[in-house]
Amino acid sequence: MYSSLVRLQNTFGFFTTVAFVVAAIIAASDLLAPRAPVVNTLEANNVQVATGRPHYYSNKKEEYASIRFTLDADLSSLFTWNTKQLFVYVTAEWPAAGSENATNQAVIWDTIITSPSADHLMNVGPATMKKLRKSAEGKSIDPSRGKISLKNQRPKYQITHPSGKLAEIDDVVLKLHYNVQPWVGALTWNQENLDVGLWKRLKGGVSEKFAFPAIKKKKEGGEKAKV
Amino acid sequence: MAEHILDQIRDVAEGQIDFEGQRLAELTVNLALSIVGAIAFFVGYFLQDIKLTVFVALGGTALTFLVVVPPWPFFNRNPVKWLPVGGGIPPQNLIMGDKAIR
Repeated sequence: MYSSLVRLQNTFGFFTTVAFVVAAIIAASDLLAPRAPVVNTLEANNVQVATGRPHYYSNKKEEYASIRFTLDADLSSLFTWNTKQLFVYVTAEWPAAGSENATNQAVIWDTIITSPSADHLMNVGPATMKKLRKSAEGKSIDPSRGKISLKNQRPKYQITHPSGKLAEIDDVVLKLHYNVQPWVGALTWNQENLDVGLWKRLKGGVSEKFAFPAIKKKKEGGEKAKV
Repeated sequence: MAEHILDQIRDVAEGQIDFEGQRLAELTVNLALSIVGAIAFFVGYFLQDIKLTVFVALGGTALTFLVVVPPWPFFNRNPVKWLPVGGGIPPQNLIMGDKAIR
């Protein structure tokens, strides 16, 4: 500590140690914040299967399912001071035909919910950004953003299967998943059937079973090019 | 003349402090940064605002740098007392080899 340069180096060195320890404590403090996410409603409303091509210049015909759904969920307890953003996604899942342990799973819809502290990271246009920032003006956290209410929502992604066949499959369910992304600490996903300390499992994140219908008939009489 | 000025500049840039000052500087750094870290965490936790934690921690650290890095006078209150140049009177019966030195 005899010269300015040495004092600069020592001070910075200890600062990095302090920063690391504080970050570790912040990450650990997440365990003290109770999580009790609830899904009140999750159901498929309107399921359609149609044939289509993976891209314009493809000769391959595949079946695509479009699942409209209704979702009412309260994930507000996931928003603490250390939450940067929450990734919420809905998957359709059904058992694989013929085999025992495989499950098919495909995402049909997702969204990113930011904390007010992370609004500036959202990839949206200036008008939406302004609205987003205004929605939580003066607030450092905004748990009310965790309340999701969607009615007959159109899916973001139409799903298919490697085999190209999707019609007339039974026992399909919709599942809600989430991924908490903190400022400091580990990513955590929803617990399906395990309570960890104050973090309760996601209540009611699975819809009732439904079936993919037969392929939608085309208007100009009869289906051609069936699989 | 120029050499004299250069020496002065070098002294200021190097910023040496005495031994007691070094002990004090080290104590200050460890205490101040630890306290700043604790305050930053609690402010952020109780006000539920992580940006506040970052700003408090960075601000406190900057302040610590300001207090500790420059050679402030209070780090130089116990200067080392060197023996005078030339040594003054040589000891009476100093013998080197066979010869007594006057």
